[in-house]
Amino acid sequence: MTPINISLLLFMIGLYGVISKNNLIKKIIGLAIINASVVLFFIAIGYREGGLAPIMSHSETVDSANQIFVNPIPQALMLTAIVVSISLTAVALALVVKIYSKYKTLDVQKLYEE
Amino acid sequence: MKNSKIIKTLAQKLLPFIFLFGFYLTFHGHLSPGGGFQGGVVIATAIILLTLSYGIKETENRFKEKQLRVLEKFAILAFIFLGLLGIFFGYPFLKNFLPLGQRGCIASAGLMIPLNLVISIKVAAGMTGIFYALVKYRGEI
Amino acid sequence: MTILIIGSIRPEYVNPRNLDYINYYLENGVKDTGAINLVASIYLDYRAYDTLIETVVLFMAVIGVTFILSKG
Repeated sequence: MTPINISLLLFMIGLYGVISKNNLIKKIIGLAIINASVVLFFIAIGYREGGLAPIMSHSETVDSANQIFVNPIPQALMLTAIVVSISLTAVALALVVKIYSKYKTLDVQKLYEE
Repeated sequence: MKNSKIIKTLAQKLLPFIFLFGFYLTFHGHLSPGGGFQGGVVIATAIILLTLSYGIKETENRFKEKQLRVLEKFAILAFIFLGLLGIFFGYPFLKNFLPLGQRGCIASAGLMIPLNLVISIKVAAGMTGIFYALVKYRGEI
Repeated sequence: MTILIIGSIRPEYVNPRNLDYINYYLENGVKDTGAINLVASIYLDYRAYDTLIETVVLFMAVIGVTFILSKG
């Protein structure tokens, strides 16, 4: 099971959580799982065979002329994606707190009848 | 969890070490994995630990919310100011114009250290502000 | 109501593994910026604009949460 397959499996688990759970908090957890799977997918794409982490050590044990490093560009892009995931979860949880204080329930089926 | 002497003493004694770890991650951002975002989140974790063990009233006496908001806005303005500082010397906006030092030392890579510091202050103040807003809500519609 | 999502379709992706633009960052990254961490040199020196907008995104999240949970 390569990391790309695992990221697709995580996406499906998160999607199942968003669609078919009746509690609002579980739907938000599904959203966070979907974000994590996308981050894993982008980082797993940039793997090169036999590569090290893209940090040039200042000791002389790494011969940096013909040593293969993995792709550092998706890792720099995913920092932004993680911050977007944090802000999405925060605003969604704030909305859920307001909904609970007004309707006193967190069940989606009961909220449809309001 | 609020009236436990063990947790209160332990949280108070561990607090400077968590701050130190957050600043270590921030300042060594160009030598090892880490950087501004990671260090800022660790510093916010320290204040969350203090809130969980002492209660929100006593923690707000130490880290006031008004000062956190001012600190956050000054951090964003300092980022833009560091970018404009390059324009005064004739370089493009946000160019690395300070002298690049010797490779492998902390004092290398020009403009990256002040940028890391500013980003970590901004992220720490932001996360703590979100946490305060979620905890202090008292059910008003 | 249980939805069975077909998550068992997992094709084998083929990625081009040797791209040319990586070599520029790997060779000239330490010389241009002086930082050993290449990921930090990408998001703080070559693409510092995106980090600036990133902090504004976090600031807007704080504004959103504070406005939703304010009284009155």
